[in-house]
Amino acid sequence: MKFAIESITKNSGRLGQLRIREGGPELRTPLLMQTTKGGSIPWLSADVFESHVSQKPQVLQFTLSTMDQMAEALAQWNSGDRGVSDYVGFPGHLNVLLLRDPCETTPSGGNDRDIQPLFTRRGRESLTPERYMEMVASIKPDIYQGLCDADTNAESAKKRVQKSVDRTEKFMHYIYEQRGKVPSTLLAPIVGGYNTFARTQSIKHAREQPAGSYGGYILEGFHTNGLTATTVDTDKLLPIVEHCVKQLEEDKPRLLPGAFTPLTILELIAQGMDIFDTSYAYCAALNFKALTFCFVQAGEKQVPFLDVTDDANKENFSPLLKTCSCLTCQKHTRAYLHHLYKTNELLGPILLMVHNLHHYMAFFETIRETVAKDKMPELMELVRKQNGDAQVDYSIAANTKVITKATMGKGFAAAAM
Amino acid sequence: IPPLTYKVVAECSVTKARAGLMTLRHSEVNTPVFMPVGTQGTLKGILPDQLIELNCQILLGNTYHLGLRPGIETLKLAGGLHKFMGWPRAILTDSGGFQMVSLLQLAEIDEHGVNFRSPFDNSQCMLTPEHSIQIQNAIGADIMMQLDDVVKTTTTGPRVEEAMERTIRWVDRCIEAHARDDDQSLFPIVQGGLEVPLRQRCVSALMERQVRGFAVGGLSGGESKHDFWRMVDVCTGYLPRDKPRYLMGVGFAADLVVCVALGIDMFDCVFPTRTARFGCALVDSGQLNLKQPKYKMDMEPIDKDCDCSTCKRYTRSYLHHIATNESVSCSLLSIHNVAYQLRLMRIMREAIQKDEFPHFVREFMKRHFQSDPIPAWIREALAAVNIQLPADQEKKDELEEAPKAERKQEPTKSMTQPAATS
Ligand SMILES: [Zn+2]
Ligand SMILES: [Zn+2]
Repeated sequence: MKFAIESITKNSGRLGQLRIREGGPELRTPLLMQTTKGGSIPWLSADVFESHVSQKPQVLQFTLSTMDQMAEALAQWNSGDRGVSDYVGFPGHLNVLLLRDPCETTPSGGNDRDIQPLFTRRGRESLTPERYMEMVASIKPDIYQGLCDADTNAESAKKRVQKSVDRTEKFMHYIYEQRGKVPSTLLAPIVGGYNTFARTQSIKHAREQPAGSYGGYILEGFHTNGLTATTVDTDKLLPIVEHCVKQLEEDKPRLLPGAFTPLTILELIAQGMDIFDTSYAYCAALNFKALTFCFVQAGEKQVPFLDVTDDANKENFSPLLKTCSCLTCQKHTRAYLHHLYKTNELLGPILLMVHNLHHYMAFFETIRETVAKDKMPELMELVRKQNGDAQVDYSIAANTKVITKATMGKGFAAAAM
Repeated sequence: IPPLTYKVVAECSVTKARAGLMTLRHSEVNTPVFMPVGTQGTLKGILPDQLIELNCQILLGNTYHLGLRPGIETLKLAGGLHKFMGWPRAILTDSGGFQMVSLLQLAEIDEHGVNFRSPFDNSQCMLTPEHSIQIQNAIGADIMMQLDDVVKTTTTGPRVEEAMERTIRWVDRCIEAHARDDDQSLFPIVQGGLEVPLRQRCVSALMERQVRGFAVGGLSGGESKHDFWRMVDVCTGYLPRDKPRYLMGVGFAADLVVCVALGIDMFDCVFPTRTARFGCALVDSGQLNLKQPKYKMDMEPIDKDCDCSTCKRYTRSYLHHIATNESVSCSLLSIHNVAYQLRLMRIMREAIQKDEFPHFVREFMKRHFQSDPIPAWIREALAAVNIQLPADQEKKDELEEAPKAERKQEPTKSMTQPAATS
């Protein structure tokens, strides 16, 4: 893996070039990885993604918690000349293996000195560093993260935070020792909650390793995934991230998984973070929200979301977002999306995910241009206020609406009276 | 130009099979055709563009469900179902009566129509032939069905005759109520249970009406396969040659092949998309239940000769891991299963056009049943249209309809019944 910084500015963060595989495509940071579940982009077949979202090379963000059961099959598959991206239907695309699924809240507990819990669909599995390295060797991702205890957030007690650092250090002793046995690039995990001392200690352990031990950093322990990332308090998050960034090696990419809001993403990029994922677009689609926030200077007042569950959409035959060129907005209406929600049809989240990914990926295109022009403060201002006066709220409320018979259309029975 | 024209393109010189071209307002349809079921204005996890890529020419929508959601007012405002769901090609709708009778326990039928309790406020409502047509006119499908008097296929006695006679009376009410005859074609439904004379009488009565095609109803509801094929055979024997014939609710591969041989042109069934949800993939030998452990390390596609987007990219092994776990698996298997059904129909059309259909039927049955005995009803049905199948290696006729895991499909009763949703 090769990473080169193109430019760094005080207000806009850094622009970089990342080549994950030799001979592979050169990617630009700030980079958006495609979050996956069981190796697939949520709801979208590879065919739909390539036909209607993007044909450019992607970095697939795999998670062990949704792919652990595939390790055995992958060991056999990888003995040929095809890799794990081919196995999940995305030949030629790149991949990063994480432990936890950023789309879902990771349950707390189950940690221990020698094992790390892995929450899968089948329940909790116990991961030892030995077992973890075996699985990484079977799955053979391009990049994988170091094993760590990241079960912390802004509320964690000092003792809990210290434990996460100590356990991570212990796991990583083994992993640094064994890393030569897998060809994949390692990301050094940085944990320590919101505690500056603990973060420093965690970074120190990584930086003590001989040169070339790892290719980048993954910062965890700020939230526990799922919607918890959308509500992190940036007043607490940004100072601790700044504290970490100062101590990280500059020439290594910094990855920060989780469904941070668009505004938080911009602030994190300004701080010098490089790699994020699409879990925010997923969480919005899961809760029937279409992303509609504005990130180009257009002068129009915008709202961050369109709530598809809202009955006001029932007979609204306009697209989710007028200015959007995605398949969903070109061919389908709010009324149809609302109908698909009401009938609990699978096409609903498919169409929403097509739009949300389209929108979010375009947002990242704009971000890269903005960083290059050093115009981040202006973009932040636009995203923060959406051309209105007050700061808009980007947090995603879990959809708790229940579809009842009373909310069904009455047209049928009315005609039959 | 009438909203439906049909012409026979080729006829099998041995069986009653025929290949045709049906031209509708929204699409040309090559027959014999399988119509995937998009109950609520969408086909389980498949984009309209993907269906077009599979060369699907016509979909089925359910009037009962669409009438409830989004409701006819919304459909009218949208300009009909085609626009509402973004599907530019043809649609066929049922009358809503069958689903009402099968889904609502309190539905009762009298001369006026189907009495039912509204599923949203429990009030007493009635679906009359006129109402069914009004709703179907709002939906705007290319082909619509008359409201018929539905009885269980296993019903015997005078109720069967009453239902058949009422169905004929109701078709006149439907024709009278039909307000968009320039755009939409109304099909009457042949009823008459399992009794040959009733079926004959029904066909000849319906043929006196001005209609552009016919449906055969009241089958595939749990009757014996012996009765099933004979009723199909009787109906196609009396129906006019120059109009399309639609057999409602039939969609298992072997049934499709037999009924094409008997002269049916149109089919629908929820089975291909429903079985996909349970992790099952259709192949010539029946279906693969991909959840089975034996597929865990199987690095082949579902069917290496299938050119669907799923078989091009995914192995059985990967599908094994995500089937029923990740919702994308439902889309992936639905695509393959719909592709399978559509390909089977295309191969049959081509065989009929080359006049090689009997050869195709023999080869298909060999692949489908492999070393299992071919059920007696299939032998009889095919013999009735002059196809003799080679004798089984061992005679095991008594096993005729015993369902077998994997190879054969599940017992017909639970799956041929059109159900609430696909
Ligand atoms: Zn869009
Ligand atoms: Zn296929």
